[in-house]
Amino acid sequence: MKKIFAILFLIIGFETIFSAEIEVQSYVDKTKVGTQDILKLTVEISGKNADKVNKPHLPKINNFSVVGSYSSSSSSVTIINGRMQSSITKTYEFSLQPQKAGKFIIPPISVKYKHKTYTTEPITITVVEGSTEPAPPVSGRMRNPYSSSSSNSDNYSNKLSDNLFITAEIDKKSVFEGEPITVTYKLYSRYDIYNLDFENEPNFNGFWKEDVYTPNRLNFRRTTKNGRLYYVMTVRKVALFPTQTGRLVIPPLAMNVQIRTEPRSFFDFGETRNYLIKSKQKSVLVKELPAEGKPADFSGAVGKFTISGSISTNELKAGDSFTYTLKISGTGNLNNFDPPQLPQISNLRFIEPEITTDINKDKISGTKIIKYLVIAQEKGNYTIPSLTFSYFDTSEKRYKTLKTKSYNLVVHEGESIYVPAGSSQSLVLQEGKDIGFIIKTEKLKNTVIYFDSFLFWFLWIIFALSVPITFVIAKEQEKTARNLDYLRQKQAKKILKKYMKTASEYARKNKPEFYAAVQVGLNNYLADKLKIPRGSTQEFIISEIEKRGLPENILSDLKNIFDKCNKARFMPGGFSEKNIQNDYKEVQRIVNDISKTKI
Amino acid sequence: MKKSIILAILFAVTFFAFSENQHDEIFRKAVTAYEQKDFSNSLQLFLGLENNGIVNADLFYNIGNCYFRLNKLGKAILYYKKALKVNSSHRAAERNLKYALTFTKDKQTIEKENSISLFFHKLFNFFSLNLLAIILLILFLLIIFIINLIILRYRETEKTVPVFFLFVFISLFVLFAILGYLKWKHFHGENEAVLLSQSAIGYSGPNEDFTRVFTIHEGMIFTIEKTENGWSLIKLPNGLGGWIKNDNFERVKI
Repeated sequence: MKKIFAILFLIIGFETIFSAEIEVQSYVDKTKVGTQDILKLTVEISGKNADKVNKPHLPKINNFSVVGSYSSSSSSVTIINGRMQSSITKTYEFSLQPQKAGKFIIPPISVKYKHKTYTTEPITITVVEGSTEPAPPVSGRMRNPYSSSSSNSDNYSNKLSDNLFITAEIDKKSVFEGEPITVTYKLYSRYDIYNLDFENEPNFNGFWKEDVYTPNRLNFRRTTKNGRLYYVMTVRKVALFPTQTGRLVIPPLAMNVQIRTEPRSFFDFGETRNYLIKSKQKSVLVKELPAEGKPADFSGAVGKFTISGSISTNELKAGDSFTYTLKISGTGNLNNFDPPQLPQISNLRFIEPEITTDINKDKISGTKIIKYLVIAQEKGNYTIPSLTFSYFDTSEKRYKTLKTKSYNLVVHEGESIYVPAGSSQSLVLQEGKDIGFIIKTEKLKNTVIYFDSFLFWFLWIIFALSVPITFVIAKEQEKTARNLDYLRQKQAKKILKKYMKTASEYARKNKPEFYAAVQVGLNNYLADKLKIPRGSTQEFIISEIEKRGLPENILSDLKNIFDKCNKARFMPGGFSEKNIQNDYKEVQRIVNDISKTKI
Repeated sequence: MKKSIILAILFAVTFFAFSENQHDEIFRKAVTAYEQKDFSNSLQLFLGLENNGIVNADLFYNIGNCYFRLNKLGKAILYYKKALKVNSSHRAAERNLKYALTFTKDKQTIEKENSISLFFHKLFNFFSLNLLAIILLILFLLIIFIINLIILRYRETEKTVPVFFLFVFISLFVLFAILGYLKWKHFHGENEAVLLSQSAIGYSGPNEDFTRVFTIHEGMIFTIEKTENGWSLIKLPNGLGGWIKNDNFERVKI
């Protein structure tokens, strides 16, 4: 290490005396830092032509790692004795992370400009464990709004490690070989995280690792830990299956975290700071699986499992195939053991199984499905024996043996035996031909030829006979429909006869009641015959008869006789005994005529 | 009401009169014998049922199977034909007959029919005789019903619909009646025969002195034109005609 004292080199350029010179200096923001702090090294190049100087090359600094750099430039104008001078300052800022405690030297930094080398002074730094600087104030959103200012000390800590840290959570402290452990790394923060990335990939020695979760974006939630509010985010989750025994180290996870500080005043816009933080190293005790009681068929399954078997059919023809499925499900190292072995069964051909392992998201539970395609090659009765599967039960800390059911299989004689060649398919070929089997009818029925049976034709006759029967019924119905009128007409004559009988009595005795009997009798008779209500007026009856078109002479006779009746009954002196016999004869003639005429 | 009672009687008679337990018992025994591959015993039992006057397509089919197993091809074909005669839509019998015919020495040329005659042939075979009888009976019932309806309502002016249906049913009735008649005639026809002897020589006349026309072998199906003095004039499917002795063949008859 060079030890050069110094310095300010004054270089007289070719062009002007004053303007050619540049100044290079370096400084740090503090000479005493903690291992958790970031040291800021600033290299400042100033002068008229400072902007033409390349970025200084930072030499390797022992025990420090560069975690970031930043550059800025500013220009200033000074007037001295009326002469105006402009100057440009370029500032390069390097963030350095101390790696261990001790006293270290930052070597000189050299800058080349126009074939000249400018070198800065070395700086001595004291690094102490932890942090020397007060942590930046926590994010305003993290302050407990309910707590009073007096209890603030409870709620905040100014130590960075209290406000920003990574924890490694292990679900089990002590496990058996092969028993999975889940490690969850969580980032707790009371700052506004601007960005973060992994510093390293932890090296899990002695484990078989399965990634469960790695975030792809910032995803914080609020939580409380030790009475404080934090932003928390799961930054990594792994499932570890120990492959060695003894005390195994769970390595720490290191992350670069950029936080943004709060603006403290109007002119302060806050700043972004870089921190490298690590989780604490942890360890797990991995115990050997007990040798005692280890079943012979144990193949390394550790956890908690169930096994079930199933068969697609119990009955098939020789040459056909079926599937035999084993299903192992549970929690444990599903990927790290062998499925139970199937014994050889003659005449049953087990095709190499298709094994699918369905692991759940947590990487430690799931289902392993082993599917055998089995071809029955000969007819007969077979038994697929019960299979055993042994595993170490971690919760009961002992070996357990599970058994599947045994299956009986009936293989019937097949038409052809078909053994597939590999996985290619071919058409089923007919190998033999024969007549169909006999028919086993339950009831042997004699086939009656209906065309030859008497009963069949008898039915036809019965059906045919229904036509004349219907015909008669129809006729009868028709008559019944007319029956009422028919009855009235039939009785009309009877009534007339009755009245005429009375009339003839009166006529014989030459009594005037004769006319009344004739009139009422004719009236009723005609009303019935005309199908109009009885007691209709004479005029109405006459007009009805006229409508039906009765011969003129009968009509006039009828009118005449009605007139005579009226006269004899209601006109004083209208009745004379000598006319009665004549009138009786006339009435008889008219009645005769009317009953002959169809109205 | 009256009609339904009569229909019920018809079915009752059909079902009860002939379903005797004894026959079922024999049938079961025969089936068991067949299953134990005792074909000759099975055959005897089945034939016993036939001699008892049982007419059943399944029975004839089973007899055919027994004969086939006993290598009596002619008899097997004869019984398959019988089964088909009773039930022309007996699929199993049809299949076995087709298979048995592949064993005959003579190729039984099946005439290549045109599509129309094939259609009628299929139609002919599709309806069994009894099915046709029932269809005809139902159609007749419908016709009578419509006629009665028309008579009862003759005063109503609107008669187009019943008359239309009457016409439709009568047309269908005529169609099925023709089909049924043909089928019935075919059923009672005894012209078809199957050759049972190993071989038979066809002559140009009813005597061995006549010219030899052809030689046919066991299982040949042909039709008989006429019979004289123990000789029959037969016609082969390919059109050849000749006289053979009656003891060579058996008619397909129920």
